Amino acid sequence: MFCKKSTLVKSLLSFAILFASVSATFAQDAAEGETLFKNNCAACHNTSDEVLVGPGLKGVSERRPIEWIVKWVHNPQAVIASGDKYANDLYNKFNKAAMTPYPNFTEPQIKSIIAYIDAANVAPAAPAAGAAPAAGTAAPAAQSSGGMLEVLLVGLLIIMVIVLIALLSIVSTLSKITTAGEGSIEAPLLQRLAENAKALAANSAVKTGILVLALLLGGKATIDAAYGVGIHQGYAPEQPIKFSHKLHAGQYQINCNYCHTGVYAGKGANVPSANICMNCHNAIKRESPEIQKIYNAIENNEPIQWVRVHNLPDLAYFNHSQHTNVGGLECKNCHGEIEKMEVVEQRSSLTMGWCIDCHRETDVNSKGNAYYDKLVEVHNKDSKTPLKVQNIGGLECSKCHY
Amino acid sequence: MFNPRIKFVLLAGVVAGLMSCGSDPNDTGTEFAPNMYHSVGYEPMTQIQGDTNTINPLGMNMRLPVKGTVARKRYTGSDSLKQAFLAQEMIAKTIPNDSISYSEKSLYNPIAATPENIEAGKAQYERFCQHCHGEAGKGDGLVAKQYKGVPVYSSDALKTMNDGHIYHVITHGKGRMWPHGSQISSENRWKIVLYVHELQKQ
Repeated sequence: MFCKKSTLVKSLLSFAILFASVSATFAQDAAEGETLFKNNCAACHNTSDEVLVGPGLKGVSERRPIEWIVKWVHNPQAVIASGDKYANDLYNKFNKAAMTPYPNFTEPQIKSIIAYIDAANVAPAAPAAGAAPAAGTAAPAAQSSGGMLEVLLVGLLIIMVIVLIALLSIVSTLSKITTAGEGSIEAPLLQRLAENAKALAANSAVKTGILVLALLLGGKATIDAAYGVGIHQGYAPEQPIKFSHKLHAGQYQINCNYCHTGVYAGKGANVPSANICMNCHNAIKRESPEIQKIYNAIENNEPIQWVRVHNLPDLAYFNHSQHTNVGGLECKNCHGEIEKMEVVEQRSSLTMGWCIDCHRETDVNSKGNAYYDKLVEVHNKDSKTPLKVQNIGGLECSKCHY
Repeated sequence: MFNPRIKFVLLAGVVAGLMSCGSDPNDTGTEFAPNMYHSVGYEPMTQIQGDTNTINPLGMNMRLPVKGTVARKRYTGSDSLKQAFLAQEMIAKTIPNDSISYSEKSLYNPIAATPENIEAGKAQYERFCQHCHGEAGKGDGLVAKQYKGVPVYSSDALKTMNDGHIYHVITHGKGRMWPHGSQISSENRWKIVLYVHELQKQ
């Protein structure tokens, strides 16, 4: 009995060791294959059946014998030239674009790549499951924009309620004192409230208070509105395509300059032309109705009518390159946190006062720029403060208005 | 004068009314003297108020350059480096997209691989390439995860690519990559070439 058990254990154990060693070598092969694949093959081939530049490699070990694959990887042109039918069909199907030869790959290396491709297709659920929540998390976060105003409103409401409670409590205390001993405390709550309100309305101090408050609020609203004339701060127009800077500049960290090609080189930053969208969207999210709008525009040769958000009045001259390239400012200095905006909003006021403030405070980015050497030298002769933009004509009218 | 309850409601209404003003994101708000704000001449990248552009097709304020245009403005003057940029760009423009081997043989980098130029190339790489090709050119940029098929510069097939090859790929595209010549100036493309050579060694 005991003996039998031990053999059973032994055989189980040996089986387990065998299995473990087999799966370990398999895993090791696949790991080596993964590195090789990602370094050399992934530019043109996918492990699934999706066509990138070359065919998707799912099930390639079943489609072709390993000897053929090795020959093909070592020298595809030779296989085609040998008149192999499969190779020639493949060559013609992919517009006679030949695969790069990899003569240095050993047979075990190629086998390990195949092992990786097979392993990647055994467990395709893992990446898909990872992708789904990532897409899900982006949506709720998107709604948080513009929450500032709501916070402000709720805050004001709370303050108003507190003031109301305070006033009512004062009135009730006052009325309690005046009507002390008359037994009105036993009256129903609503009636008491109404009486208190009546007393409140009759009180000249309260009347004056309300009047003053209304005047102040009205006055502030008038002044705010007057100051807001001609200022587009907070302007966040709806665009013809629901492009999200939060996704592109935030989540995917695409540099501003990639699309706004003129920002370091010219007066305007440039709104990208459709070919720049297509650099990625020839492959990404092709089915989305918003992306379809780009395709339609290109097919019909029509411009996409993006709505300009930041627009200085025609009477003021502004040049991006002077500020970004020469001055070394970052985009967000003036445009705010674009990478967090679902819809782009004008954050800064772009008023003259706003420009002037910055020109007064900002040091000239003179380091490594020979143009400023003489100016800095002259300035430092009779000043201890560093050279500011205002010292080199940053406040001159004709610098911007001409 | 008023019933106190009505008075309270009125006051609340006035306050609410004041707060809800001017929150339409599609509205720029009141403009004082709009004829001083909006250009009379056609400005690029701007909607025109009133009359639309009747001269250009589809009311556009900008027009496409003639096919094959090479911007000469940046390359004029006696500066030999600028002349070289222009000459290289003229050659690159005439090379068909699929003739990458011709670019390999005929193009050369006018810029020397000095540390400053490589550093400048790195800055350009970060702006135009990094989101796909990754920080170290391993094809692992954030966008590459969606786009797929981004190569590794240091792989056997790519680590020996020369100046002309890399310049051709940036200008005309290759495989899954689309042309980026319209976005990056010739000079900056050559600087990127210098930095890609650094990444090939990694």
